[in-house]
Amino acid sequence: MDYQLDLGAVTRNMGPLIEGLWVTLQLTLAANVIGVIAGFGLALLTTSKLAILRWPSMLFVEFFRCTPAIVQIVWFFYCVPMIFNVFWGPVFMGIIALGLNLTAFNAEAYRASIQAVPREHLDAGIALGLSPAQRILNIVLPQALRNSVPVLLTNGIGIFQQSALVAIVGVADLMYQGKTLATATYRPIETFTIVALIYLAISYPVGQFVNWLERRQSYA
Amino acid sequence: MGMTLDFSILLRFTDALAMGLWTTIKLTLLCVVLGTSLGFVIGLLRSNGNAFIRGALGLYVELFRGTPVLIQLFWIFFCLPLILGVEFSNFVSATIALTLYMGAITSETFRASLRSVGREQMDACVALGLPRSAQILNVILPQAVLRAVPTLLSNAVSLFKESALVSAVGMADLMFIGQNISNNTARPVEVLTVVAVIYFIIAFPLTRAVTVVEQKLLRKFSV
Repeated sequence: MDYQLDLGAVTRNMGPLIEGLWVTLQLTLAANVIGVIAGFGLALLTTSKLAILRWPSMLFVEFFRCTPAIVQIVWFFYCVPMIFNVFWGPVFMGIIALGLNLTAFNAEAYRASIQAVPREHLDAGIALGLSPAQRILNIVLPQALRNSVPVLLTNGIGIFQQSALVAIVGVADLMYQGKTLATATYRPIETFTIVALIYLAISYPVGQFVNWLERRQSYA
Repeated sequence: MGMTLDFSILLRFTDALAMGLWTTIKLTLLCVVLGTSLGFVIGLLRSNGNAFIRGALGLYVELFRGTPVLIQLFWIFFCLPLILGVEFSNFVSATIALTLYMGAITSETFRASLRSVGREQMDACVALGLPRSAQILNVILPQAVLRAVPTLLSNAVSLFKESALVSAVGMADLMFIGQNISNNTARPVEVLTVVAVIYFIIAFPLTRAVTVVEQKLLRKFSV
């Protein structure tokens, strides 16, 4: 190959990449806060006895699970301002779009754990005179949350990777800064390799932690 | 809301959308077949091969599972031609990228299903005096492959969805054509909604099929 590697082109320009990484981390953390909380609420709705609550919430989950994330993001960035006549900052838009996607995936994770809570526990709650809200908060939530942790973490790291999609709609995240740098320096190999390794350096340890957690839970 | 929706503008573009959808389907099917075959070989090698092969393949799998698919596509589209000194067509580059991605995720599926075949089955093979080839071909593999089927199906649905990323590197798939129409007509709400619905109409029945396969087929074979 005639291409001479020059890592200096990237290491001299780490500033923008660090800024991009910071945006990526903000997107990931905020989307996870939304996904972990709203996902549980949505899961309760999808397991509701009332069809009027169950059907729309299931449609929401299936729609996000069965369409490409890039379509959701592009749709969100182009259509939400037009439909609702609102103009939010790009990072905030990215957080909401990724957060809604994660909410749907987390709801699926919670649903399985909620259904795994033994019937007797709820009966015991009724016998003790706990209100429905108390039963959900004190009996269902702690068990569902504990059982869902590995999948929630896997989904959370998934959204970290999916967050790179916001680069397509111009949010200045790590991927976007990488693209800009690769074009400006004519150094695609060095830039894209280093950007990929930054993503890997964050998702790999979390993935290993999930493996460890799953092994531990399967012994418990 | 001060806008009126007019979905009839899409009627002018049915041919273009159909062409994009065909590209998406072609690319997905090709990469599902190639990627699953690659994943099968890698899954076997990672379960049995020597330490060096296991290490190298493990690195490959973690690299493709631990980075955004978007950057994998950028890498294959912009860096691979520089390294190899050859230009590929968009379709070939996209096929290479998505096949390598699919190979990495399905290899994990195969590895997990190989592990799920119980130790006692191997012991039974030894007790029956079966040769090593019969142990693998007639006892372990049929069970492992059958158990992998539902997860492989969801892997295939994931790939169908991930394939929309090739629009970002300029390949004329369904998403790319949808975005072009949306930009040219300034009607993103109608066009992008229809594009999303098309993806949904294909992916949703497939995800249902995964559940059916999981429940019915596997119970029938009781594995």
